[in-house]
Amino acid sequence: MGADVESLASRAPKKHTEGKIKINAKRHSRHLFSNTMSRYYFLFSILALCFVLGLVIVFIGKTALLLFGNVSLAEFFFSFNWTPEEGSFGAAAFIINTLSLTALTLVIAVPISVGMAVLCAEIAPKWLTGFIRPVLDLLVGIPSIVYGYLGLTVLLPFLRRVSGEGLGDGVLAAALVLALMVLPTICRISDDAIVAVPRKYRDAAYALGSTRLQVIMRVVLPAASRGIISAVILGMTRAIGETMAVVMVIGNTPQLAKSLFTPTSVLTSNIVMQISNVEFDSDWNYALHMMAFLLLLISFALILIIRVLGRKRRDAQ
Amino acid sequence: MKVFKKFTVTALTAVLAVTTAFAGVASAADTLKGKITINGSTALLPLTLQAAKEFQKLHPKVKIAASGKGSVTGPQAVKKGIADIGACDWDASIDVPGFKAFDGQVANKVAVIPFATIVNKNVGVDNLTTEQLQGIFSGKITNWKDVGGSNADIVVITRSFGSGTRVNYQAKALAGGDIVKKEKNYKETGSSGDMKTAVATTPNSIGYIDLVYVSGGDIKAVKFNGIEATTDNVINGSYKIWAYGYYMTKGQPTGATKEFIEYVQSKKFQNGSLKKLKFIPISAMKG
Amino acid sequence: MNGFTRTRHSARAQRRNRLATIGFYTLGALVLLLIFWLLFTILSKGLPSLRPEFLIRQPEEIDPGGGIGPVLFNSFYILLISLVISIPIGIGGGIYMAEYAPDNKFTAALRICVESLSSVPSIVFGLLGLAIFAEYFGIGLTILGGGVSLAMLNLPMLARVTEEAVRAVPGEIREAGYALGMTKSYVIRKVVLPVAMPAIVTGVCLVAGRAFGESAVIILTAGLSTSGEMWDFNLFSPGETLAVHLWYVQSEAIVEDARQIADKSAAVLVFVVLMINFMFRFPLWLGNRRKGR
Repeated sequence: MGADVESLASRAPKKHTEGKIKINAKRHSRHLFSNTMSRYYFLFSILALCFVLGLVIVFIGKTALLLFGNVSLAEFFFSFNWTPEEGSFGAAAFIINTLSLTALTLVIAVPISVGMAVLCAEIAPKWLTGFIRPVLDLLVGIPSIVYGYLGLTVLLPFLRRVSGEGLGDGVLAAALVLALMVLPTICRISDDAIVAVPRKYRDAAYALGSTRLQVIMRVVLPAASRGIISAVILGMTRAIGETMAVVMVIGNTPQLAKSLFTPTSVLTSNIVMQISNVEFDSDWNYALHMMAFLLLLISFALILIIRVLGRKRRDAQ
Repeated sequence: MKVFKKFTVTALTAVLAVTTAFAGVASAADTLKGKITINGSTALLPLTLQAAKEFQKLHPKVKIAASGKGSVTGPQAVKKGIADIGACDWDASIDVPGFKAFDGQVANKVAVIPFATIVNKNVGVDNLTTEQLQGIFSGKITNWKDVGGSNADIVVITRSFGSGTRVNYQAKALAGGDIVKKEKNYKETGSSGDMKTAVATTPNSIGYIDLVYVSGGDIKAVKFNGIEATTDNVINGSYKIWAYGYYMTKGQPTGATKEFIEYVQSKKFQNGSLKKLKFIPISAMKG
Repeated sequence: MNGFTRTRHSARAQRRNRLATIGFYTLGALVLLLIFWLLFTILSKGLPSLRPEFLIRQPEEIDPGGGIGPVLFNSFYILLISLVISIPIGIGGGIYMAEYAPDNKFTAALRICVESLSSVPSIVFGLLGLAIFAEYFGIGLTILGGGVSLAMLNLPMLARVTEEAVRAVPGEIREAGYALGMTKSYVIRKVVLPVAMPAIVTGVCLVAGRAFGESAVIILTAGLSTSGEMWDFNLFSPGETLAVHLWYVQSEAIVEDARQIADKSAAVLVFVVLMINFMFRFPLWLGNRRKGR
């Protein structure tokens, strides 16, 4: 449809100019030229993007796949025994921990972020919105090591006091820190999505006598769902990939997180902790790259699931 | 691809030439030039950075780029040709537990690094023997009352496998004993700073660190087999938990790299800045 | 309300509405409180003892009183390089995905790939940068390497945010443009982009803020040292940034005032990100005001 319009638009003026002033023709050809050029430019950008994408995937994948020369697929994916110094490369615990940490983070972060987005876009008066938005953006700017340090010095002692644990490190501490870190991402992008919902939808709903809550829940949020889902995805991928802060509060012990306070380790934290201490040409290094590759696959799968679910819901409506 | 690489390298060198032409105002009578890249152990970084700063003052045409990620990164980067000097907390030209020797590399001693066992300030114990430490880090001893303290669970904080500090601590303090992960009360940290903060903020915790970092009231160093962790005790040979820090090079160092290593090993630097950084000069050790 | 009869149903809806409004405000207040507490903890430790000379002095290893001069400069320099590379390509790619790309499986797969890329830990981008610049080109640890690697890290996020922003522009605005005989690129430039701009700027701010605080990539590609000069524009100098310096003083530095330097650096970092946001947004806000929106 877009292409049809384009060809129509570019063809129409040509005919128009035939019998008319020359200057006009020049201008049109210039417009057509710039049209083609910018088309090439956009094409170039996307190719550059694909190139970077390919580069990363090839770079990680190439090293990662070397692992399976010496370690079986089954061991890597299903064994819980990660003692690389003795040749055991079971990553199952990390995979499960990553999934549960991400889930816990989203359970905490999404309601709060979307709530804040609704507050900004629909409820709060203009001055308050203009105040909240930049403040939220500030959260993004706090470097992850600062989050980690605060987690280590403020959050962990607090959790220790509340839970009576000796250490306090674990999935809960990591999820709380991560939730705070992804909050602005999810909130700001959902906020933009909600603002982009055309005014008339709301007006129509109000005209039918809906309360504001009903308008928000039944009209605005569904209409903005595409953008909100993107926001959640961006937040989620950041949560899956975040390292520097997680490393400080999760305990870095390669075992399954049996409780919220078991010191444990996820894919990212394990990569970061160990990658600087392994030899380049060792199975251990390959295994860590495989874990990075796995992160890509996991987020690919999660995004796919979220998108399919989102589409189903939209279709159902 | 080759052509492309060649082209890019040429282009980059051209840019480099132009930019250095602009920057090259500070010309001294000094002839030594070149670029030294140093990578590896983070424990040696403060020393490397200080030395680089002083060396660049003497030889303004030498550019030194330093970075650190982990001990084994040092010799590896040298092997791959990414770095001229690989800082490492152990002698990487011979086998050590967990790591094979890097063939063809020369280990240049640059400093003596003492380590200390540290505990949170709330721990009442102030002396631990080799056996007790082995018991604690292998998970056999889990309560402070078993080593003469109050009745509280021991929280073990350690560095990740492959950390230079851990390699040396295991070899010297635990006499080769294992550090075993536990279900609870066990945590690995990624750097000396994290270790210090973790022990300082976690009651009943025990860890280990370069002696340099032992300061402030929240952590305290415990005696090892009855001997206090001080530089004097290292020098007189009674305190055993220490190790040499090395600069690994591919073959014997040459040119600017050689000059730099010699500067670090010189009396002026060893007895001056190196001492101020609380490392111990290599000349102080007998053998 | 006035003309309607209140049913029990509508009364309940009204009550719920009021409760929800209170709920949303409470949530907002709590989150704001949390953020302010956080900012207060960071800034109150750093700002009161912050002196201007801290911002221009060289870092020290032995004596207390070291500054962050060159690293602060490098931070801006590397951020600038990375944005100069990533903004045109990221926004261009985003526009392509939203406006030109055929709506098929391949595009969908590409989109998901781009998204999953943001979950690759940044240290992997650092390793990639190390492999490209230090190993392949053999130029060692440089500002250039750091900037380009950082740009690669930024690209996916920028492209996705732009795509979403462009897609959110209502179709009828575009059609109005075409109906006037505009070419496609003209419509994108003059109609679509201006409407999508606030959202794109949000994205750029998010990305810039994140890049400014990024450390893992820089440690591996630009190093942990500076050339020792304050205004070193040489692309091939080692380029420690403020975030990296913060990591360093927090993790390994021996100087006795390391803690204070870390606190002050963190405060400066947060402050700079605030300024970046302000700088990007201010023209936009002015523009909106002029249009009387």
